[in-house]
Amino acid sequence: MSFQLSLGAISHLTAGRAQMGTSLSFHLMFAVVGVGLPLMMLVAEGMHLRTGDPVWRALARRWAKVLAVLFAVGAASGTIISFELGLLWPRFMAFAGGIIGLPFSLEGAAFFIEAIFLGIYLYGWDRLSPRVHWLAGFPVAISAALSAFFVVTANAWMNVPRGFTLSHGRVTHVDPLAAMFNPAWATETSHMIVGAYLATAFGIASVYAVGMLRGRRDSYHRKALALALGTAAILAPLQVGVGDLLGRTVAANQPAKLAAIEGITHTERGAGLNVGGFPFPGHAGTILNVKVPHLLSLLAFDRPNATVRGLDSFPAADRTPLAAPVRLAFIGMVGIGTFLVVLVLWYWLRRRLDGTGRAEKLTLAAIVAAGPAAFLANELGWLVSEFGRQPWVVYGVFRTSSAITTSPGLGTTFTAFSVLYVGLTALTIWAVRRIARQPVPVLVAA
Amino acid sequence: MALPSVLAVVLGLCLTAYAAFAGTDFGAGILDLVCGRSEGDRAAITFAIGPVWEANHVWLILAITVLFAGFPTAFAAVGTGLLAPLTVALLAIVVRGAALGARPNAEVGTRGQRGLSALFGISSIVAPMAFGMAAGGVAQMSVARAASKVPWTSAFSVTTGLLAVALCAHLGVSFTVCRLARSGDAALAGRFARRGLWTGGALAALCVVSGAVAVWRTPVFAHRLEDAGLPFAAIALIAVVASVVALNAGRFALARRSAVMAASMVVWGWFAAQAPVLFGRRLTIDAAAASGPALTAVTIAFALVLIAVVPALWLLHAIVGRPLREVGS
Repeated sequence: MSFQLSLGAISHLTAGRAQMGTSLSFHLMFAVVGVGLPLMMLVAEGMHLRTGDPVWRALARRWAKVLAVLFAVGAASGTIISFELGLLWPRFMAFAGGIIGLPFSLEGAAFFIEAIFLGIYLYGWDRLSPRVHWLAGFPVAISAALSAFFVVTANAWMNVPRGFTLSHGRVTHVDPLAAMFNPAWATETSHMIVGAYLATAFGIASVYAVGMLRGRRDSYHRKALALALGTAAILAPLQVGVGDLLGRTVAANQPAKLAAIEGITHTERGAGLNVGGFPFPGHAGTILNVKVPHLLSLLAFDRPNATVRGLDSFPAADRTPLAAPVRLAFIGMVGIGTFLVVLVLWYWLRRRLDGTGRAEKLTLAAIVAAGPAAFLANELGWLVSEFGRQPWVVYGVFRTSSAITTSPGLGTTFTAFSVLYVGLTALTIWAVRRIARQPVPVLVAA
Repeated sequence: MALPSVLAVVLGLCLTAYAAFAGTDFGAGILDLVCGRSEGDRAAITFAIGPVWEANHVWLILAITVLFAGFPTAFAAVGTGLLAPLTVALLAIVVRGAALGARPNAEVGTRGQRGLSALFGISSIVAPMAFGMAAGGVAQMSVARAASKVPWTSAFSVTTGLLAVALCAHLGVSFTVCRLARSGDAALAGRFARRGLWTGGALAALCVVSGAVAVWRTPVFAHRLEDAGLPFAAIALIAVVASVVALNAGRFALARRSAVMAASMVVWGWFAAQAPVLFGRRLTIDAAAASGPALTAVTIAFALVLIAVVPALWLLHAIVGRPLREVGS
């Protein structure tokens, strides 16, 4: 009861959004690993089959163990979210369920397949032949990527809704395929999936870089680092391109979101790109801004003199009330992305020039930082997408304020779930650390 | 059969699978709390429920997805009306999974480990209690005269909550006993089997009591239950008695199968009694269904799910049951 009283000050809608946002950002951490780690595990086990080196197998086995814990937490937090859609946003569900039910059903299926084959993979280490065991990992990795794909097509629909007609506020003529393959599906899903692989790769690199900084420069650590940063070297530059394409999707379909992201207050013809340009409380414009002339118009619309609408050209009720956090999150995401690209290129360039393959301390320290940074970039990307879409839950069609439940007590449920997430985080970190401390059989034997 | 009805049957199948798998899982937690005298007992229970690990919540996710994609207005109404009990159930599910996952890592005999065990056991009771109460509320709503709040705290709902807990306990006991007997731990299997007489007795009693409370408090629903649900209820009762007899006779596999049969009959009896209503009085299967093309797409998707999932599940169980290969790492 006291919780309810102390939270009485925040509004019903804010409590609902806070609970959903907390749940999603918590789940995202685990979902990202659930998508990325199976791929890394498969590559490591494949390297074992190819080279016969037991260190690769030890790595794959260790990662599978960690994946089992993180997958279980991800499944639990995913269950919470599937319920919360109805518990917190029943009116949105009643509106959208019939339109985007298809990708959600397919997501459920992909998740189920992932769970089953992960079980086979985990129980199969000593029960299946090495090659069959490796093959059993493929459905895990593929369905993990597919479940991310399906669920993000539903989010893409919330940004660029298609595949239905509205007459007098009622949904008619639903085309589930047109809804799923809306104009944003390709760019949004690829940005998310590449982002998940990148975060996992940098996360792994970070863990093993810590070990190397502590002097454990054995084959186990070196191989893990090389595999992680090898994957990152391919994907980090690719993500820059994919991000640019997603930016164009936003520019074409969500002009108010673009204005918030790029920090464009007044409409400009031949708009320049704001580099820096931090919003600052109590300050009308932005600070520390460098404007690159015509670049935004060129990037967003392929024409150097294209017009980019400013935030103030939209009615206050139709643009995001969170323009400053959107801009900050975007700067953070792009900043981290740039750092990751530079870091991974530097690592390989140095390795090639140096020839000894030994990474120096400063580089290793930067790699340690890159892991959490890559996860943060994923979170920031979602903040940009979700805050930038406000005040709409379905862009231009359905307002978030119309979607919230009529049931009271959200202050209490928000508090309860927040406490739960803090506890779960602590427990997960503890469990993964216990796994990390177990001796590696190959190294013990050697 | 029309598409909405097909999808309603799929919903029923998902809930049945959830009741059987998660019920077993919850039941093992209850057994752990009530009869876990030593660390050895607890380790045996944890080992026994290995194959029905946490992933059985995918059945719940699938059920939610069917409801959400196939019957969006019913999903919205369930979410609005049952915010409190479903939130409690969710919290309990997550807490028990986390406690079970963390327990093997804690030092034996410490306060931390005892705390995790207590958390695991208590949340294993809370989750089915909350689900059962929610189900009782939905059942009563299906015959409510006017739109009103879901009566999930009524006397009838409390009995259905207790019924759900007893059902889980009985499922848990019969499954654990079955696994222990197969792995050669006959003494512990025998000890737990005697507990099964209690859980089975409680279950049979609660089946009768909930029927009586229905007659007393919600005569209209009782009438529906008598009309459409009677065969299911009768088979459920026979199955419970059969499982108790089988436990007593040491025929554990039969006991387990009968317990699963009882669980599915309870779910289908509830469904039959409130059909064609999904939620409230007006949201019937047809009225709540999504529009034509969406429904077709979702039905095809779920048909594919079942085609893909059933063989994969069979494969999983076949592989888990295999002996270890001699070739070491």
